[in-house]
Amino acid sequence: MTVLISFDIDGTLEVGDPPGPLTMDMVRLVREKEFLIGSCSDRTLSAQRAIWADHEIEVDFVVGKHMLPDVKAKFDADVYLHIGDREDLDRQYALKAGFDFLWPDEAVAHPHFQPDS
Amino acid sequence: MTTPTAPDSMYRNDEGLGIWEHRGKVAAVGVGHAPTSRRWDGRPETCVGAITIDALRKAIDDAGVAPDQIDGLVVVPVTTTGAFWEAGKPLPMDVIQSFNQTDDPLDGIAKLSAEWLLKNMPELTNVNFTMYGPGCMSNALNVTAQAVGDGLTHTCLVVKSWHNFEGRYYQGGANAGAALPGTPAITQLWGGPASYSTALQFAEYCRKYGKTHEMMAPFMENSRRNGLRFPEGYWAQHRPEELGPEDYLASRWIAKPANLFDNDIPIMMSGAYLFSTAERAADMKQKPVYILNHASSNTRPRSLLPTLDEVEADTARTGRKIYEGAGITADDLSFENMYDGFSLFHQFHLEGLGYRGIKFGEALDFYQTDISIEGPNPVSPSGGNVGSGRSRVWMHTDCIQQLQGRAGARQVTGVKPEVGVSGGPMPLGGNYTVWSASPD
Repeated sequence: MTVLISFDIDGTLEVGDPPGPLTMDMVRLVREKEFLIGSCSDRTLSAQRAIWADHEIEVDFVVGKHMLPDVKAKFDADVYLHIGDREDLDRQYALKAGFDFLWPDEAVAHPHFQPDS
Repeated sequence: MTTPTAPDSMYRNDEGLGIWEHRGKVAAVGVGHAPTSRRWDGRPETCVGAITIDALRKAIDDAGVAPDQIDGLVVVPVTTTGAFWEAGKPLPMDVIQSFNQTDDPLDGIAKLSAEWLLKNMPELTNVNFTMYGPGCMSNALNVTAQAVGDGLTHTCLVVKSWHNFEGRYYQGGANAGAALPGTPAITQLWGGPASYSTALQFAEYCRKYGKTHEMMAPFMENSRRNGLRFPEGYWAQHRPEELGPEDYLASRWIAKPANLFDNDIPIMMSGAYLFSTAERAADMKQKPVYILNHASSNTRPRSLLPTLDEVEADTARTGRKIYEGAGITADDLSFENMYDGFSLFHQFHLEGLGYRGIKFGEALDFYQTDISIEGPNPVSPSGGNVGSGRSRVWMHTDCIQQLQGRAGARQVTGVKPEVGVSGGPMPLGGNYTVWSASPD
């Protein structure tokens, strides 16, 4: 099964402003599981790329908040999931684009972010 | 001491007033900025009152003036970025009790009075003139220049600060009430983003002159580039991110054709200056920067929002007032630092000035040429709010620093810095200052 996860940054990832609960190691974990991953943020595209490069994490996409439909059109997956901390800019955009949605604290506890047994 | 709001008589609103009577006799000397932050973290030492004291003390030190020599203080009392202390939210008593208080518990936290500042800056023992310049630093600078020129104060501090709290902007305050008084009852009824009137004007501008939003990209890139060379600014201090064309144009719409980066980022900040008479300034630590004129626009639109026609008429009128009172022409400007927060109206200011001879409808083409600090036609060398976050202060600091020759990595090199102009905020309704390296 192919899972695609879109991460908001600020308030979601530990490197965000404000920092969120999802660590970069958690991101690496789902990368190792061969999930499709990327960021969907109001940060500039170049700033998003710089964050991933600084942490040596290869991502499949970086997009703006309004570009989740583009992500869904570009990648074929069985599950599309967006994780973010805002009702208006994350949850509503995600659901409208046909993504599942998790709040950051929900994501931390989700099986996706636990090692495979 | 009761602090009055500046009377209308202190502003130069009209054409035909002639050369400003205090031209070259008032000078800015000291500059002070507190560290910026995205939002208040709740600590006493970072509240808006505390950062204001920090900025004021830095301005005093920068000018090399003993605090007891200061006899004036001009303050912008409103500090909100659009964030308000929610009704019913418990007061931060630990913060309140960290300072000498006025009768308003949110003084120094969500607003700022001259009384609060004087209570908490005991070194200012001889201040006998205080006044409020409402709105923003551009207004307060006009008030300060006129007050010093009129002899109401000889060594005067002027300060503007901003607080920013958690949560959404413009969702609180009057907007949270069941009713809105006056014009906002109509203009804010539908909850349009703050930039929507500018977006409408810009859309009409593009239609009228055959321009596009994409043509803003060089201006945005240049502004952020300059801002990243502004060590006092938010982006330089916290997120040194460039804003290239791909970054800018990929951003989502806030009020199409205004996108996210056409709207400035709200921050905590404080900026302060020390003004004095030209005679006193000559003996201070920094090179005086002389005020050649101040001018204002108090034009009211005919309807709810200014039309493009009204914008163009008023920016042209403002340009004429600026030049008339200063006794200069557009050819005398070394650079311009007109306001940019929202970025989509900077070209209105630019065209009203006739900067480098550009006419209405030509600014976006001008943006496609060399507008860098290294070139012959520097546009917004401060980087403005695009470059350093919401303050309406950077443009003034930059004018002073450019003319003092201490703008550092932001120093203009393609022109000799002799005369600059700054001000805003809106094309209709703003205050402007003409700065000069020489009093003549």
